[in-house]
Amino acid sequence: MASPEFERDTLEHLNALYNFAMYLTHNPSEAEDLVQETYLRAFRFSHRFEPGTHLRAWLFQILRNTFLTFYRLRERESAVAEDGVPDWEVPMFHDAPEDSGRALEAHTDLERAMRRLPEEFRTVLLLAEVEGMPLEEVARVMSCPVGTVKSRIFRAKERLRGLLPDYRIRR
Amino acid sequence: MSERPDFSDEALSHRLQTELPRHAAPAHLRAAILAAAPRPHRSTWLAPSLAALGTAALILLFLLPMLAASNRPDDVQQLVRAVVSEHSRAVMWGTRTSTFLPTASSWLTQESGIALARVFAGDDALALIGAEPVYLLRERGVALHYRDHADRFLTYVALPAPTLQLPERYRVAVASWRPVLVQDGGFTVWVWKHGDLVCFLVSDMAGGNDIERFKDYFVRVRTATEPLLAY
Repeated sequence: MASPEFERDTLEHLNALYNFAMYLTHNPSEAEDLVQETYLRAFRFSHRFEPGTHLRAWLFQILRNTFLTFYRLRERESAVAEDGVPDWEVPMFHDAPEDSGRALEAHTDLERAMRRLPEEFRTVLLLAEVEGMPLEEVARVMSCPVGTVKSRIFRAKERLRGLLPDYRIRR
Repeated sequence: MSERPDFSDEALSHRLQTELPRHAAPAHLRAAILAAAPRPHRSTWLAPSLAALGTAALILLFLLPMLAASNRPDDVQQLVRAVVSEHSRAVMWGTRTSTFLPTASSWLTQESGIALARVFAGDDALALIGAEPVYLLRERGVALHYRDHADRFLTYVALPAPTLQLPERYRVAVASWRPVLVQDGGFTVWVWKHGDLVCFLVSDMAGGNDIERFKDYFVRVRTATEPLLAY
């Protein structure tokens, strides 16, 4: 059971978590569900949080894990053949599909380009560049070494440049 | 003279920080989170709460026959909530009875209305710690409780539901099966049909490696358990 202080501390990150959820789901209603589920899990497992460590990274990690568990699995389901035999050969770094009709509209080229990035690249840019998280925190959220984070940031920026029309024209 | 375009990392970082719109959480979300947060139990509330629950259960018993029988979109959700409540009760207070060989128990079949032709009796990963009859949403069923090596508690429930249909959009491929994966109150639940029965496997396993392990547990239980309507 979470203490009132824990609830208050976690809720300070509500806007940042919702923003992250929006860039993962592109859908306000799904983003709300994802954030609410993140907080439920955080409150339920508050005893597992080590005081003095990074609460923000812990919350982002729960949100991303919840997203990957429930949304990725359902995405992957669409790759299953009619005979029910699963196809697990879905590439990790595939470009995201074009926006679906019920998703929130993207207003800028940069936003549209971000949406086309694979989740791993989008997440690393959102955490490191937009949220300004230190690389160690990003590594914790993404459960990978700091070196991997650095390399993903580099590759994400390369991919982003390729997706931005103004960069393509100038090259 | 035209301005030289800036391709640098710093320029792209600056664009990400300044041009990307930030989405603020809607005002009602904070209230919804706090309202859904689990609260500590207070013993002074127990008696009136139980009385109210008893009254509600009685009213429900009279009203339910008048409601449509099955295939409403929220049927699965209602069942999942009932099963999650049963799982929470077992986690908090343990199983009411313990039967370590449910296939051999005529008492369990008689009480639950469900026969277990085969049952997953545990292995090196999961230990069977109890089996008991349950009564959820006006249906008798059977519950099996397991614990894994990391002390995580899992509950398997089978209930009669001959006409229930599971939603396609939440199906996930696991081995050769396509169970539904749902979450409720911080718990994760596999739901699948087994003939005229609907079966559930509940745990608090959440993300990453946990969910892979939970899939493995589903396969173990699904493969080795054969529930049937006894009557």
